[in-house]
Amino acid sequence: MTNQNKHIHRYHRHMSVSYAVSLRQRLYSFVLVPILSFILVFVVLSKFGGQGFALRESITWGYVFSALIVTFARLLLAYVLALLIAIPLALLINYSPKIERILFPLFDVIQSVPVLAFFPVVILFFVHYNFYNGAAIFVLLVTMAWSIVFSMVGGLQVIPSDIKSAAKVFGLTGINYIDKILLPAVVPYLVTGSLLAWAGGWNIIIVAEVLHTYIPGGSGAMDLFGIGSVLVATSASNNQRDFLMALTGLVVFVALMNFFVWQKLLKYSEKFKFE
Amino acid sequence: MQTEAKKTEQHAEESVKAINLISFKDVAKIYSGNPLPSLAGLNFEVADGEFFCIVGPSGCGKSTILKIIAGLEEETSGEVVKPDKVAMVFQSGALLPWLNVFENVCLGLKAKGVSNAWMKEEAYKFIEMVGLSDYENKYPRDLSGGQRQRVGLARALAVSPKVLLLDEPFSALDTGTTEELHKDLIKIWKTTKKTIVMVSHSIEEAVSLAGRIMLMKSGKEKNIYNIELPYPRRELEADFIHHVQTIRKEFFK
Repeated sequence: MTNQNKHIHRYHRHMSVSYAVSLRQRLYSFVLVPILSFILVFVVLSKFGGQGFALRESITWGYVFSALIVTFARLLLAYVLALLIAIPLALLINYSPKIERILFPLFDVIQSVPVLAFFPVVILFFVHYNFYNGAAIFVLLVTMAWSIVFSMVGGLQVIPSDIKSAAKVFGLTGINYIDKILLPAVVPYLVTGSLLAWAGGWNIIIVAEVLHTYIPGGSGAMDLFGIGSVLVATSASNNQRDFLMALTGLVVFVALMNFFVWQKLLKYSEKFKFE
Repeated sequence: MQTEAKKTEQHAEESVKAINLISFKDVAKIYSGNPLPSLAGLNFEVADGEFFCIVGPSGCGKSTILKIIAGLEEETSGEVVKPDKVAMVFQSGALLPWLNVFENVCLGLKAKGVSNAWMKEEAYKFIEMVGLSDYENKYPRDLSGGQRQRVGLARALAVSPKVLLLDEPFSALDTGTTEELHKDLIKIWKTTKKTIVMVSHSIEEAVSLAGRIMLMKSGKEKNIYNIELPYPRRELEADFIHHVQTIRKEFFK
């Protein structure tokens, strides 16, 4: 009798477990996050992030903060786009050795050309359509996508063969195989790839927002508002106090992001590592 | 008259029993880029409900047989008869580190698309059978090597396979754990009446588990031994030692 009760208890305890949760998580990460970040980014960029940036006489912390938010929005949009491109690309490379043989050398060459070399051409294209933010986001996207693609391909290559065999024996094919085996298995690599992508992104923002230097006869009125252009403008005008404020803001922001986002994600990704 | 009818009935029963679930006829397997064949004209059969063990030196093609039965590899030539529904227990366990015991056991059921209620019932049945009832929420990294193999066993049983393939599942475990798992495996084999095909590098292990043992050498069957000892088999009994010695002699010949 007690044994039976224990049984019933056990069955009930598990009525609401895990698979539903993971589905919700997936919904969050693959649908809600991109949509929300797009909305956030468009609101922020259309309100504050347009071109026609002119440096204020003397900047405030609020001003630095708004520049950081605008830049962050730009990076976030570029990152989400980079993920949407990089993940299918990495899966494609992993899927077929033939595709890998064609694409990988190509990637190696393209990746080794500094993204800034493309910049003038790209800018002229976007400026032609009067879409200045597009130019900045494109450059950020290209910078970010590579490290995600390469990390993820590396992660896919080190999945133990027993795991792949088990997936096949137990009937996980197609979307199921990608969703239940490949994507979880590369979480640690996606996290480190993303970390590198953001590091590269913050690095390139200094140039990506200061568009006028790439446009023949361009002026400061073509620059995009953001922490990158504030840094450049304050340093150019030799305003040390303002430059230090902007720099401090950037350092604190990146440090906070490191602490609250990357450390947490790195810890979370431990769960997905094979032994 | 009556006795004759009984006899034919018995006969029919026997011939049904003798139906082979797995049959390899002159099977060869050559991996591309490898000049030596992994299997070179292999012949053997496994009957329904049998505990069949394959032993042989490393590189003799043992694992290739399991891969062919599991559908992971295709034979290069020859004729293979095998059931569709097979499941496998791997040497490394091959558990997914991001899933807990329950979710790992559900893996095959989930892929089959069975109802949630059925999935839970089946998963718990086999988690209990392998003795991990209190570990269903634990993750593989929190389990011992023996417990991980138990999870692998439950995951394989849960898809109700016709054949259970075991690829040296106990070779990374210590002696005590291995012995315990042997005992439980025999118990499970007897209750579920599954056909088991196991690969092992240990002759003692094969003799303590299997009803029939196939000794292999360079991609071919060298000898097949019937082991008709009652369970539980004890390693110190004369019959046991005799079987081990006989096989060992051939093994090193």
